[in-house]
Amino acid sequence: MTVRSVEVELGVGAALPRARRRGFFERHQSRIRALGSIVVVFALWELIGRFVITNRLFFVPLSSVFASAGDLWARGELQLHVRTSFLEFALGFGAAALAGIALGAAMAVRRALRDYLDPWVAFLYATPTVALAPLFILWFKLGIESKVAVILLVSIFPILLNTLTGIEGTDRHLIEAARSFGARPMQIFAKVMLPSALPVIVTGLRLGLARGLVGVVVAELFGAKAGLGYLILYSAQTFDMAALFAGVLILALAGVVSSEALKALERRLAPWRFVEVER
Amino acid sequence: MTAKLELRGVSKWFETRSGDVVEALRGVTFDVHAGEFVSVVGASGCGKTTLLRLVDGLLAPSRGEVLLDGRPIAGPGLDRALVFQLDALFPWRTVLDNVLFGLEVQGRLGEEARRAAGELLRFVGLGGFERAYPHELSGGMRQRTNLARALAVDPEVLLMDEPFASLDAQTREIMQAELLRIWNARRKTVLFITHQIDEAIYLSDRVVVLTRRPGQVGDVLAVDLPRPRRLDVKRTPAFGALVDRVWKRIETEVRESVGVPA
Repeated sequence: MTVRSVEVELGVGAALPRARRRGFFERHQSRIRALGSIVVVFALWELIGRFVITNRLFFVPLSSVFASAGDLWARGELQLHVRTSFLEFALGFGAAALAGIALGAAMAVRRALRDYLDPWVAFLYATPTVALAPLFILWFKLGIESKVAVILLVSIFPILLNTLTGIEGTDRHLIEAARSFGARPMQIFAKVMLPSALPVIVTGLRLGLARGLVGVVVAELFGAKAGLGYLILYSAQTFDMAALFAGVLILALAGVVSSEALKALERRLAPWRFVEVER
Repeated sequence: MTAKLELRGVSKWFETRSGDVVEALRGVTFDVHAGEFVSVVGASGCGKTTLLRLVDGLLAPSRGEVLLDGRPIAGPGLDRALVFQLDALFPWRTVLDNVLFGLEVQGRLGEEARRAAGELLRFVGLGGFERAYPHELSGGMRQRTNLARALAVDPEVLLMDEPFASLDAQTREIMQAELLRIWNARRKTVLFITHQIDEAIYLSDRVVVLTRRPGQVGDVLAVDLPRPRRLDVKRTPAFGALVDRVWKRIETEVRESVGVPA
C-alpha cells in the first residue's frame, strides 16, 4: 500500500521540466552579431583611414565622412541633394509600381495582350537599360523627366514580371472554389488572384526598388544639377572623398531601410508564408 | 419521395492537347432524393470528381443532362455548394472571412449574416477560432471550416469531393461522425464522393458504385443500417457484408489499375 502510493505520487508529482526562459542575448543573438559586425567594420574603416591609407585622394576615415555630411547639411546642400534624388525616385518608382502591376495583371488575364507584349518585355528586360540613360537625357533634357524615365524603365520589369507570375500562379483550386460560390470574373480577380499574388508582387517591388536606386545614380551621372548621384560625381571630380562616401552611405542606407520596410510588409501581407517550424 | 437531383444518361469527354479524346463518364443515370445522403465510390480515375463538377455546374455534360428540381443545371448556383479537398481555403482570410466568402460574392453580407456565420462556426465546433488563419489550424479544423463555408450560403444540395481524404485515419472517423451529426440537424441533400468504401457505407442512405474509365454506374445499393449510426456500426456483420459487396464490384478494376491481378 505504501509502496503503491509512493509510485502514484511520483507519477503525478513528476511535472515536466519547466522550459528554460531564454536570456536577452540568446533571443537577440542574430541581431547582436550583425550589430557587432557593423561596429567592427566601421572601426576598421576609421583606423585604416587614419593610419594605413593616409592619402586623402584615395580614402578617408569614417569620421571625416560624417564631418563632411554635417558640413554639407549646414550649408543646405545635402538637403537639396537628398530632396532631389528622393523626388526623382518617388516619381519614377511610383510610376513603375503602378504601371508594372497594372500591365502585369492585364497580361496575366488577357492572353492576347500577353502574346503581343511578351517579346518587348523580354527584349527590354534583357537590355542593360541603364545604357539608355544618355539617350533619355537627350530626349527629355536635363530636368527631372529624364531621371524619372530612367528609374521607371529600370525598375518596372521585375514588378511587371512578378505580378504576371504571381497572378498566373494562383492555386486553381482556389479559383474553382470561388467560381463554385458564383463569383464573377472581376470578383475572382479582386478577391482571389490579387491577394494570392500580393506577396510575390511585393517581392517584385523589392527587386525593382534596388534597381531603381541604381537608376537614380546612373541618371544623375549623365547630367544633373543636383541629387545624390550628382554629389558623388562632382565629389569624385573634385577629389572630395569624404563627400563622395557621404553620398554613397546615404544611398546605401535608403536602400536598406526601404528594402526592410517592404520585407516587413511581405510578412504582414502573407503571414502563412512565414509559419514558424515546429521544434 | 421526389428526386431533388437527377442525372440522365450523362456522358463527359475531354479533348487533350494532342487532340485525343478521353472519355471520363458514359451514360451515368441515377437520382438523389430530397434530404437523402448518397455517396459515389469508385477506383481512382473513374470520373468521380468530374461527376461532382458537372452537378455543381463548373463543367457541362457532353451528352445527357443534369437536373435539379427538374430543371437543367446551367452553372454554379446558390442552391448548391461544393466542399473541396483541404487546400481550397483562402490562406489570407481568417476562418470567419473564409466562411463568409460565399455570401460576400453573392452580395448577401450583413450584420445578420455575420452573426449567423459565428453561430455556424460554433455549431461545427470552431467557436473561438473566428480570427485564426487556415495555416494555424489542424487538418480536421480546416475541413470543418471548409464545411462551414459551404453551409453558410445555406444550399439545398451539399456536394462533397473527398473532403476527408487527406486526414489521418482517426481524425477521418471523427469527422465522419461529425458530418452525420450536422447532416442530421440541417437535413441537406448530400452527394458525397469518396474512394473509401467504408466511409461511403457509414454515411449514406444509398451508395452508387462507379466502374473505371469511362465511369459507368456499376451498382446502386441501399444501406439499410438504422440511424443514427454510431462509429461502432462499422464493426457489425451487416456493415461488413455491404463493404464486401461493393469491394467485389470494383476489386478487378482496382487490381487492374495497380497491376496486381487476382
